[in-house]
Amino acid sequence: MIHFAIRRQGREIRLRRGPAVSVLGAGVWFLSSVLGLTETDLDDEAFAALQAETKKGFSEQVTPFVKNYCSDCHGNKKRKGGVDLIAALKRPGQARYLKHWKLAVSNVKDFDMPPDDEEKLPTDEERRQFEDWIGKIKYLSPKDPGPFVLRRLTKVEYGNTLRDLYGVDPSVAEDLPDEVFGAGYLNTLSPLQSELYLGIANAVLDQILAPMGKPPTAVQKRLFEEPPGKGEDPREAARKVARRLARDAYRRPPTDEEVEVLVGVYDLARENELGYPEALRLLFKAVLVSPQFLFITPAEEIDSEQEIVPLDDYQMASRLSYLIWSTVPDAALYELAAAGTLHQPEVLKAQVKRLLMDPRSRALFDGFGAQWLGLGDLESKTFDEAKYPLMTAEMRAAMVEEARLFFEDIVRKNESVVRFVDSDHTFLNGTLAGLYGLDGSITGPEMRRVKLEDPNRGGILGMPAVLATTSFPNRTSPVKRGVWVLEQVLGEHVPPPPANVPPLEKQDQKEVAGLTLRERTELHVTNATCANCHKVLDPIGFGLENFDAIGRWREVDDSGGAIDASGELPSGERFASPRDLKAIVAGREEAVARNLVERFLAYALCRPLQGYDEIVVDQLMEAIAKNDYRMQTLVIEVVASYPFTQRRVR
Amino acid sequence: MLKNALIDRRTCLKGAGASLALPLLETMGWADTIAGKASKPPVRLGFMYMPHGVIMDQFWPTSPETFLSSLPPALESLRPVLDRCLMMKGISGVPISPFNGAPHALELSTWLTATLPDAPTRHRVNIAISADQIAANYIGALTSLPSLELATMPQTHKENQEGLHEAYYSHCSFRSPTQTVPAEINPRSVLKRLFGQSDKPGRSTEVDPLDRQMLDRVIGGARDLRKTLPQGDQHKLDEYLDSVRAVERRIAAIEYRQKEAALEKAGVRASRRHESDSPPIEIKIPEGDKRSEYMQVMCDLNVLAFQTDTTRISTYIGSTPNGVSYPELGFSDQHHSQTHHNNEAEKVRKVAAITKFNIDQFAYMVKRMADLREGDGTLLDHCLMMWGSGLEDGNKHARENLPFIIAGGGGGAVNTGRFLTGVSGNQGDLLTTLLDCIGVPLDRPIGLATKQITAMKA
Repeated sequence: MIHFAIRRQGREIRLRRGPAVSVLGAGVWFLSSVLGLTETDLDDEAFAALQAETKKGFSEQVTPFVKNYCSDCHGNKKRKGGVDLIAALKRPGQARYLKHWKLAVSNVKDFDMPPDDEEKLPTDEERRQFEDWIGKIKYLSPKDPGPFVLRRLTKVEYGNTLRDLYGVDPSVAEDLPDEVFGAGYLNTLSPLQSELYLGIANAVLDQILAPMGKPPTAVQKRLFEEPPGKGEDPREAARKVARRLARDAYRRPPTDEEVEVLVGVYDLARENELGYPEALRLLFKAVLVSPQFLFITPAEEIDSEQEIVPLDDYQMASRLSYLIWSTVPDAALYELAAAGTLHQPEVLKAQVKRLLMDPRSRALFDGFGAQWLGLGDLESKTFDEAKYPLMTAEMRAAMVEEARLFFEDIVRKNESVVRFVDSDHTFLNGTLAGLYGLDGSITGPEMRRVKLEDPNRGGILGMPAVLATTSFPNRTSPVKRGVWVLEQVLGEHVPPPPANVPPLEKQDQKEVAGLTLRERTELHVTNATCANCHKVLDPIGFGLENFDAIGRWREVDDSGGAIDASGELPSGERFASPRDLKAIVAGREEAVARNLVERFLAYALCRPLQGYDEIVVDQLMEAIAKNDYRMQTLVIEVVASYPFTQRRVR
Repeated sequence: MLKNALIDRRTCLKGAGASLALPLLETMGWADTIAGKASKPPVRLGFMYMPHGVIMDQFWPTSPETFLSSLPPALESLRPVLDRCLMMKGISGVPISPFNGAPHALELSTWLTATLPDAPTRHRVNIAISADQIAANYIGALTSLPSLELATMPQTHKENQEGLHEAYYSHCSFRSPTQTVPAEINPRSVLKRLFGQSDKPGRSTEVDPLDRQMLDRVIGGARDLRKTLPQGDQHKLDEYLDSVRAVERRIAAIEYRQKEAALEKAGVRASRRHESDSPPIEIKIPEGDKRSEYMQVMCDLNVLAFQTDTTRISTYIGSTPNGVSYPELGFSDQHHSQTHHNNEAEKVRKVAAITKFNIDQFAYMVKRMADLREGDGTLLDHCLMMWGSGLEDGNKHARENLPFIIAGGGGGAVNTGRFLTGVSGNQGDLLTTLLDCIGVPLDRPIGLATKQITAMKA
């Protein structure tokens, strides 16, 4: 490995250049930083070898398969079902074709394609090989940290940042629109909202600065320091203030040009005959509406010819701090960035641990945990008031609080991700204890750690917040619960129901009267179109039928019939109670961990995973498995991962 | 107070419970008229949405001949303004293949675009500029706010159908193919930002005269930063800088109106509305959480924004396709769960009640407009208000005959009081015609449009 350094503005950007690897004929030199925290980090040579092998396999195995069995309908200008495998063959590794390959594989595997009436049908062995090869398609993606698009601070991050920098209440930002989360953010503003930032800046200034003619406030003294004395140049003093305000707000040292822009605003105020403190006020306002404050911007221009460079240490400090705390880096992080040591593996690892142990890491639940568990709408979700009078605002708040404390406990104690599913304790207060049937022993509004004797409880599958989220307003939904377990816990993809749902529930009211919900739902499986998916989904939901729509234990359902919580998964595993189901899910620790890694990586990168990310996830899984799937390890590995520490600049 | 003061400030403030400077309310003239002439009021365009379609035999009028005399139940509340309504059967929605598994994610996002998301980049927002935003680009420069976007529910739905970006579920306005325009759900914020009224003490709502120049310097400084960024990041930064420029423009508009007000105080009569025009309506923000009251105050804000010519383009997402219940109607079932009714009487009854509820709110809005004198007619005469859904029948996800109600004469462009059957056209054709009616020149059809629906014109 050749080490070299680019020296710019007194700081080194260290790079390690690997051997020349030409990938997909692009002649691109790939870089990986010294930040090789994971021992499993695929080195470039090994990766190139894998790529070559995969390419060869593709032309020898996949191309003939596609030409023999698929291309009549899925290629050469025909794109039945939107799938074009001939186009996909030309650039097999391209992210846009991934969906085509995935569809092809699942259909070929399930004997749905080619259609039975075709003359030529692949042998079972050919089908299996096709599946194998498509599984390797990820190796054709070029090594790439993915798009790193500049992101505006979210509403929560912005409010927290104002709080931590200036001591204002974060609710000052409450008028900003809520973010559309998911895989990646989308933050845009409507014309009506465009002046919000200016309005919020005004509100912040009103809160922390003294009115004209009044003595300065404490915050004002800290931010503006002493006004210039006699003989001192006020413009120079303003320049110093500008540099300091910008450093805090931009989360990095401002460039000289940036400072001059602010001094220009000061000049503007003075030209309009404002006094020194009022001129600083306008300068400060300019800082607060600057894009450098609202966006996390790089500390320095990259003038190398590289396509991919490591994040600079200031950017890293911000990325890390906003990921775990949803706020601006604190002094310790800033100092490490200034010293240029934050990117060092041991330093970075220690910082992740420090951030996780800090109370501010509750932001990780609010931002990631609640989203993962799907609890965002619970507090406003409608429940049938007559049927569930217990679903008060206090109850909903306690439910979410239970989930949060449970999540944080696993993070802070660095437990295995399996504990999310299988645990023997939880957090309750008097209100919530009622749902658990423990209202005698636990009273008062205070949440506290409670050891659970009932093995059906403990873990997210038996947690009221989750059970209520996955129910309808007036009854449980075994289907929703089944989908939730498969998608949110095991990371499987459940296809949506077909566009025109056939009239399954022509259920004659007389005929279904007296049937339990389970018996009614099971009618799905008598319909061939529905059966394929519902035979997987429904049993999981049935396994949780002992919990009603707000998470109370019950032995009979609304119809008065006894609950039957037994079932069998397609894999043949049988269960008879929530407790058994919990054990089966907890046994799939790799699937549970992989799902969390994928979701957390996407959350950390603020974008959906694609192409090369799949290889990154494989590597992360290997490293995390070595440490018993512990939660802190998971966070550390994601932070140290290639796409989190690098960015493509061209 | 001016003799011809157009707004009684106290009435406007009752709802907000505060009294602050109201720069925009100082005068309320048309910004683009020639001084001294009482000219024709401008034409405004508004959209209001409900998801999941309707119960067809309770929505469609029985025949063109009996349209004014025998009304289907869903339309009952429109009776007083029926002669100013137009209904058409035969407008089809966008066929959603290859996204067949995403009927609800696409009903709202295709509604004003008449376009499908770009399939290969479906996980991002990539669709088309929406009709309201095309109109805002052309007409918006004449008002202090180019367009107004309102919604009843937060636009944060997280379902991901067919791998489509979550935003498709709950957005109808797109500023560009890749940028949504978020809607405001808090009536207090709307009131504050439309009319500079604050209901929180200690918040500055006055414009600092130096802000414009300060922002100009900030934008100038951002140019250096911009140069250092990769292209994708530059676009992201530009989105923000554009919004800063919009603020500059808005401050300029406020300053312009303040100048006008000063002139008027000095006895120079500038722009003009008829002296007989109704005073601006009063806004009362409800205290409880009753859906009808909430939707009506949003409708009032829309009316006030049009009446005061603060904007000429609006969209109101009255309801979204995600888990919405209507406790006020006496049942807690979610809208969507009832729309797959398979003709079960109870569910049909509930869907019909929800539909009627939504149309009632639309009727409330257009009736208010019909009660306000403006120029030689009413505010409604100078508006084109469209209510509709992105599905015809939620039970089967059909979109052959999308339900629409158009209210208002569009300044004489539309021939109302009719029910047209056998209209053959699509959503794009309809949107193209609407824009033509309000005078927006189009250089290309909207979405899958191929023609205009000339039958609806006067």
